[in-house]
Amino acid sequence: MNEAVERLVDLRWPSQVKSAYDVVIIGGGGHGLATAYYLATRHGITNVAVIEKGYIGSGNSGRNTTIIRANYGIPEAVRFYQHSLEMYGRLEQETGRDVMHATKGLLWIAHSEAGVRQERARAEINTAFGSKTEYVDPKTIQDICPQLDMTGQGVWPIYGASYHPSGASARHDRVVWAYAEGAMRLGVHVHQRTAVTGFLRDGDRVVGVETTAGSIAAGVVVSAVGGHVTTLASMVGLRLPIRTHQLQAFVTNRYAQAFGPIVASSGLGVYASQPAKGEMLIGAEIDRAPAYAYDAGHSFLRSCAFRSIALLPFLRDLRVLRQWTGVCDMSADYSPIMGFTGVPNLLVTTGWGTWGFKAIPAGGEQMAELIATGRTPALIAPFALDRFANDRTMADRGSAGTH
Amino acid sequence: MTIRRLRISCPHCGVRAVEEFVHGEIPTIPEGIVEPEARDLDRAFMHTNAEGVVVERWFHAFGCRRWLTLARDTRTNDIPDNRG
Amino acid sequence: MHAPERLHCTRIVATPTALDTAAWPGGAVVLRVAADEALVAAPVELDVVSDPHAIVEPETAFCGVWVEVEEALAFLERECDWELPTERPAFAQGAVAGLPVKLWFAADGDDRVLFVVPAPFVVDFVERWS
Repeated sequence: MNEAVERLVDLRWPSQVKSAYDVVIIGGGGHGLATAYYLATRHGITNVAVIEKGYIGSGNSGRNTTIIRANYGIPEAVRFYQHSLEMYGRLEQETGRDVMHATKGLLWIAHSEAGVRQERARAEINTAFGSKTEYVDPKTIQDICPQLDMTGQGVWPIYGASYHPSGASARHDRVVWAYAEGAMRLGVHVHQRTAVTGFLRDGDRVVGVETTAGSIAAGVVVSAVGGHVTTLASMVGLRLPIRTHQLQAFVTNRYAQAFGPIVASSGLGVYASQPAKGEMLIGAEIDRAPAYAYDAGHSFLRSCAFRSIALLPFLRDLRVLRQWTGVCDMSADYSPIMGFTGVPNLLVTTGWGTWGFKAIPAGGEQMAELIATGRTPALIAPFALDRFANDRTMADRGSAGTH
Repeated sequence: MTIRRLRISCPHCGVRAVEEFVHGEIPTIPEGIVEPEARDLDRAFMHTNAEGVVVERWFHAFGCRRWLTLARDTRTNDIPDNRG
Repeated sequence: MHAPERLHCTRIVATPTALDTAAWPGGAVVLRVAADEALVAAPVELDVVSDPHAIVEPETAFCGVWVEVEEALAFLERECDWELPTERPAFAQGAVAGLPVKLWFAADGDDRVLFVVPAPFVVDFVERWS
């Protein structure tokens, strides 16, 4: 890490890998580190190791578009993400670190009568379950975001939108560092450049992990792995309802004006926001064929640019500065999977697909409570893996597969 | 970061950009899963999600509108015998 | 370019051999869209192919326009990123201007190209020429 980062955080790297920990967390992204952080701060469990094959935040935590929102489509999800959104609002106070949290408001645009019905339904269900969202007409949309072309270049006219005033963003790596710092300060070990190559078993039970730094015994093993989770699970013969898809995004050079809100369109499959540096950040949908590659495609840029210009014509005059790809663990019902796996002592927090960043605080907090108490907290009980066997899938249209 | 375009060789139409095709999976259920309900569950929801070479189907929607079978490496998006 | 007009075609699904050996009406443009399928820009009798299980149906879902080869190639240079056939006559199909387009390059001496576009995309197709 460079000096500027060192000034931001005080990361106390462990001098060695111990032979045993109470809890081993696989994956040093936001979810793994937040789980470690809350284990240490809320439950006093500090004999914890986070095993990361690259560097912390190098997976999807460093490859997302940092949108924080709670306007999902089913009650269980609205409650969970609203809790996470509120935790994000207190994160700077809690960790003492500036994570550049900014409330921006999020417009979800409808281009058809069907889209209007969907956004009205979203507003209703969000409001009913504690997340403020209202349906707004074109006049209000223009007040919120004057840059929008209300005719959608004559092809995608804007009929209305749901407006989620608490929609926000934060700086992704600062969130990762804040959790890592807080956890490590209390004695949690974070081992970077250490890959898990297998599991230690005692009969059915998982009793530790094999790593490139040797065997590590563990009371509980938690997978907080992103796109590669099925590969890890296959090492214990566990099948997951997960497919890994590439999701691309790009930023432009700086836009001289302030662009206030986050703007999303399901119809066009794009969303846009302006990070603190003034670039325009544009994201789209997952690529349809499952893949683990980090390659970025020209065809994505072309179609995504075309669709976002239809919404925000000023983008035409900007240039693409940087483009990147994340590999998303997409669950079969577009909802996360948290908790027990059926393999004793192995827990997962996965299926974070394209919606993981906003869930980091609540996901970490709830997983920590589950680990500490051995009981699934009510907030995440609907998201257990066994829902697929029990006909309790959490199909969520509000998930959208975009952000 | 590499900017590139995945191309697929259609036996009838020739080499075309991947955007002309629709992806289709060949589902696999491990032989070890024998109990009928477990097989149903696996068929409905579970995925091997292989990190490596997978054999899969692609539909040439912009051309002959026929399915073709090819092997692709999901780690790189390389198609080993791709004539494109 | 004129706007493409509705084509009164016949779609024939039959064995590849039957399609290879069919006696097509004289002068008809035959687009071999797949090994087991042809799109003929003319009315076709049921017994034109020897396959007894062949499906022979009128097909009016396409529009077509003949374009002078020079103008066609200039357009394709801009809007098509795959390799065009060099022999004549020749058939090719794929993405042109982001649309599923079928091309028929007429025989030598007839310097024209037939663009065949699914009817719902004609508006977009015409737009791309301007």
